[in-house]
Amino acid sequence: MQISSEVTNGKATLKLNGRFDFHSHRDFRTAYEEIIETAGVREVIINFSNVDYLDSSALGMLLLLREKAEAAGKSVSLTGLQGMVKQVLEIANFGKLFSVNG
Amino acid sequence: MKILIADDTPINVKQLEVMTVKLGHRPVVAFDGASAVAAFQTEKPDLVFMDIMMPGMDGITAVQQIRALPTDRWTPIIFYSALDRMQDIVSGLEAGGDDYLAKPASTQLLKAKINSYARQIALQSKMHLYAEELARWREDAEEQTRLGAHVMSRLTDAAGLRDQMVRSFNLPAETFSGDLLCAARAPGDVLNLLLADAAGHGLAAALSAMPLTQAFYSMTAKGFPLTSIAEELNRKLKAILPADRFVAATLAAVDVRNQTVEVWNGGNPDALFVNSKGDVVMRWSSRHPPLGILPAVLFSGVTETVVFQEPGDLVMSSDGLTEAENRAGEWLGIDGVIKLLSTLDNSEARFQHLQDGVTAHLQGLPGRDDISCLMATVPINRRRQFRFAAPQMINQSQFAEWRLDVSYNAQELRYIDVVPAVLGLVTQVHALREHQGALFLVLSELFNNSLDHGLLGLDSMTKTWIGGFEIYMQQRADRLAKLDHGRVELSFLLHQDESRAVLDITLSDSGPGFDYQNRLQDSTCLSESNEQTFGRGIALVKSLCDQIVYSGIGNKVWCRYVVSDLVQDK
Repeated sequence: MQISSEVTNGKATLKLNGRFDFHSHRDFRTAYEEIIETAGVREVIINFSNVDYLDSSALGMLLLLREKAEAAGKSVSLTGLQGMVKQVLEIANFGKLFSVNG
Repeated sequence: MKILIADDTPINVKQLEVMTVKLGHRPVVAFDGASAVAAFQTEKPDLVFMDIMMPGMDGITAVQQIRALPTDRWTPIIFYSALDRMQDIVSGLEAGGDDYLAKPASTQLLKAKINSYARQIALQSKMHLYAEELARWREDAEEQTRLGAHVMSRLTDAAGLRDQMVRSFNLPAETFSGDLLCAARAPGDVLNLLLADAAGHGLAAALSAMPLTQAFYSMTAKGFPLTSIAEELNRKLKAILPADRFVAATLAAVDVRNQTVEVWNGGNPDALFVNSKGDVVMRWSSRHPPLGILPAVLFSGVTETVVFQEPGDLVMSSDGLTEAENRAGEWLGIDGVIKLLSTLDNSEARFQHLQDGVTAHLQGLPGRDDISCLMATVPINRRRQFRFAAPQMINQSQFAEWRLDVSYNAQELRYIDVVPAVLGLVTQVHALREHQGALFLVLSELFNNSLDHGLLGLDSMTKTWIGGFEIYMQQRADRLAKLDHGRVELSFLLHQDESRAVLDITLSDSGPGFDYQNRLQDSTCLSESNEQTFGRGIALVKSLCDQIVYSGIGNKVWCRYVVSDLVQDK
């Protein structure tokens, strides 16, 4: 999975590309840890529009991110949900844990 | 490094010996082929210098014999000989030598050779160490897997899964399944089911799901409602698991007597109720995040209860089933599952059809995730056939009176599961233990009447409307959450009544009571075949108890339950 990150106006967007599964562990952590340490960032947005697969360990990574972000006083939101990704997140009711914007 | 020097010429031996010591290695010397072979076996050198022409066994034969010895590592052998024709070099290498130096070689060259082989040997022994470590790891892992599989199979081999109402399959992606299936009867014959799917698969996933079994079985046995079980399972996992681990779960309670199916689904595919025609008539989608994520204050154990009007099969599954992939990468999907279940045959054939269908869909590929399914065949059977064990005789001299009075006010009623709590106290008395099932039913009926009608003012008639049961349950939950005054008192007296041991149960509430004289005179409402919701509960209590008496304004009920015949001591 490739991750590109962009910070504008206190909002950091991580755009994920490809399969988000247990192989993505290190890349994903590296990407979000950097953002969480950035003082000006208030919101972390995860963009899933180019993700075609999501497994349960990916859900676990999102929960870890949420915990770390909350501890640093930042919020996490999910965006670009489509297809299988949307379905998996809906079944897991992650809308009750994260703010979801389309 | 230990270097074996095999040469019959002392001056050659000396040269190599000096060099070996100078480079910090240890020399071992043999003066002919036979003693070289012997020294190789006893000394286990790391490197060998071998002359060819020696008395007795020559170097070529010695190397052939050395190479024929069983070994688990590579020991380089360098021929060091005055023979320098191509033929000699080739036959030396063919015999098993690794290198060939013609005598006399310069000190510089010998030094470089020894250093070069020292590097290779160091690398080799490092790799050898890694390989050994890997082999040990593998052995350990296999041993742990074997032990884990044994313990898991014991822990998850629930007798409840052999219930005649239940069918299941669990196809692990690895040795272990992270999917856990449980089934058990609650007192009063309600069938409780759990299908849990821990994130990931293999041993780690299996381990995450394990804490669920004990809590599920003990709470089911005590008659706790599904909501409380869900809350406890979540609390337990939240305390144990790290932040990135969780367990998707479907909990269900099938109550044949009241014809209801109650489901809590957090993170699993839809639970389905399929009628005998093969149509899906009810679906319970995931309404909650999986277990182990939310702290207790944010967690919701709210269930969805549905009244079923026809027999059918309740089908619960893990996402391994809906996400089973064929060679083209297509998922079976919930629609695929529904299609497989739509067969018109009986439950057994339908279940087999589903299992065969998944196997066919996988097209011989291994499942990427654990695939499991739990199916309960639900009959329509209003006739109450409770199979309680015949009570044991009690010796009169050992029989003593026992009394318990408890009282709950509104504040406690809002959150305490009164029936399992009180039943837990009552069944600690040995004589009453085997009556747990019957007492659960009696107590549930009496207590629910007090709470629902006495304190919450709910109307049983609501349940007779289409969809009324769901409305009733919703009203009940809403009013209970807001209950701010009222009280329910329960008292139990175990004593002797002539030649019998009896348990007198008295229940009273602070509600307005009901017109029991008129309501109970209508004998039809207390008959066994009564199809009305009202009175069925009281009919049940009547059938289980010797006597039932309402008094006061109808807010107090007394009943006598026969525990056992007392026998004279011999």
